[in-house]
Amino acid sequence: MTVMKSRWFIVLLGFFGCWSMATAQDVVLVVNKNVRITAIRDADLRAIFTGAKTRFADGSRVVPVTLKGGAAHEVFLKNHLGEGPDEFRAQWRKAVFTGQGAMPRTFDSESAVIEYVAATPGAVGYVSRISSPDNVKCLPVVK
Amino acid sequence: MLRRLPLFLLVCICTGNLYAQNLADIEIHGFVTQGFLFTSHNNYLTMQSSAGSLAWTDGAVSFTDSLTDNLRVGIQLHMYQLGELGGPNVQVDWASGDYRVNDHFGIRAGKVKTVMGLFNDSQDVDAIFLWTFLPQSSYPVDNKSFYLSHVGGEVYGELPLGSRAGKLQYRGYVGHVSLDLTGGYLKESADHGLVFTSAPGGKVYGGDLRWEAPLKGLTLGSSALVEAVDGKGSIGTEHISPFFVNAEYAQFEKGKFYFAGEYRRAPLNVILTVGPAVIPIPLDVRSWFAMGSYRLGKKFQIGGYYSQYVNKALDTNLPANYSKDWVVSGRYDFNSYFYGKIEGHFLHGTALGYYDSTNPNGLKPNSNMLAAKIGFSF
Repeated sequence: MTVMKSRWFIVLLGFFGCWSMATAQDVVLVVNKNVRITAIRDADLRAIFTGAKTRFADGSRVVPVTLKGGAAHEVFLKNHLGEGPDEFRAQWRKAVFTGQGAMPRTFDSESAVIEYVAATPGAVGYVSRISSPDNVKCLPVVK
Repeated sequence: MLRRLPLFLLVCICTGNLYAQNLADIEIHGFVTQGFLFTSHNNYLTMQSSAGSLAWTDGAVSFTDSLTDNLRVGIQLHMYQLGELGGPNVQVDWASGDYRVNDHFGIRAGKVKTVMGLFNDSQDVDAIFLWTFLPQSSYPVDNKSFYLSHVGGEVYGELPLGSRAGKLQYRGYVGHVSLDLTGGYLKESADHGLVFTSAPGGKVYGGDLRWEAPLKGLTLGSSALVEAVDGKGSIGTEHISPFFVNAEYAQFEKGKFYFAGEYRRAPLNVILTVGPAVIPIPLDVRSWFAMGSYRLGKKFQIGGYYSQYVNKALDTNLPANYSKDWVVSGRYDFNSYFYGKIEGHFLHGTALGYYDSTNPNGLKPNSNMLAAKIGFSF
């Protein structure tokens, strides 16, 4: 039953498009069009952006990208990672300076995020809203 | 001393527009810090701290490149000056290849950071901490470079335990450690006439298990290692038979609050041979700390901790065999890259951080200390 509900949820999200995903005080998750999964669990998203997970559920490589700052960045971190920009930066600094990870690429603007995601297989990022996702795919997040 | 401050400012200005630069696919990051100490009594950490001292500068730059989806290589170069310790020599903090088979298993080889307790492998990353000094009972800054890393290999990974049981992170390693020729232990040894021109060292192996509990923000863990040290100096030798160190720790983060604590035990016997004299130095170190902090806003953080070190192998009533430190701290982040810290210490006992050569008139059992630091990290 729960699976059915999730499926309907995903179908509805797809029907209304990425615009509707952005309306609930959240950001829109965008991935490269070659990414085969149709939804992502919130826990997996958190693991990807903290460096604990390097692959999507289907086994393909994931390349997380972030915004350098701003409202969308803060909303994404708060809603999906449960932390603020300072904590996020601190944990990546720790990974980098201890040789345990490489920081995700960061971009100044949402258009740069979309451009990079569109051009990079496995890339996943977020933007505040997107109305015509020609070159990227919007990915619903399932709690 | 005065030459270092302009250098620090120059680095900050020159790198003002830098942030995690990607030159092709190579990531470059770095940090530089400048500290200041003032103590009411005694000179701390080989600095002339009782007169106020700026002789504390740290800097590092790291280069990382992902060669394939699974393979990453990198190196971090580090330079530090802490009073009479450290110097102009550039050291390799770590230099390793990291092959991550999947999210559950990976291998690192080269010079890799040594995991021990909550902060050992990250103790040099000043930018991530509120504290100017980490608890010295467990993370003595004058011997940081000895504990920080080893040459060898490590396996690591993460095991999900299900939605109701959290996840388990593991690391296990084996390799060789060397004392820092410009670090605290060999400075202490040189003060007593035993000078080493090649670094004493020995085998090390150990591991760490850390459980991320289903209660969000709670981490519990345990580390252990076995190591040995041997070295030959100008007029004698140093020998430490393989000894076992264990640490248990916990940390909890919720909203603006952070709490952590750690207990460590290290029983060992140091044997110094100076000419015909054999000098045994028995140690049964018990150290622990408890800390808490609160974020007042986006830029300002305050906190405090208590840190205690006792050598149970000797008379624990003597100040030379214990160190107890009450600490209050504050940190202000000017922006994402530039920060300042200030810290008050109320030190009891003289077991840690003091050197005969910089305290020729002996030590007072208690001292207060003001520590401040500014740092820049990109």
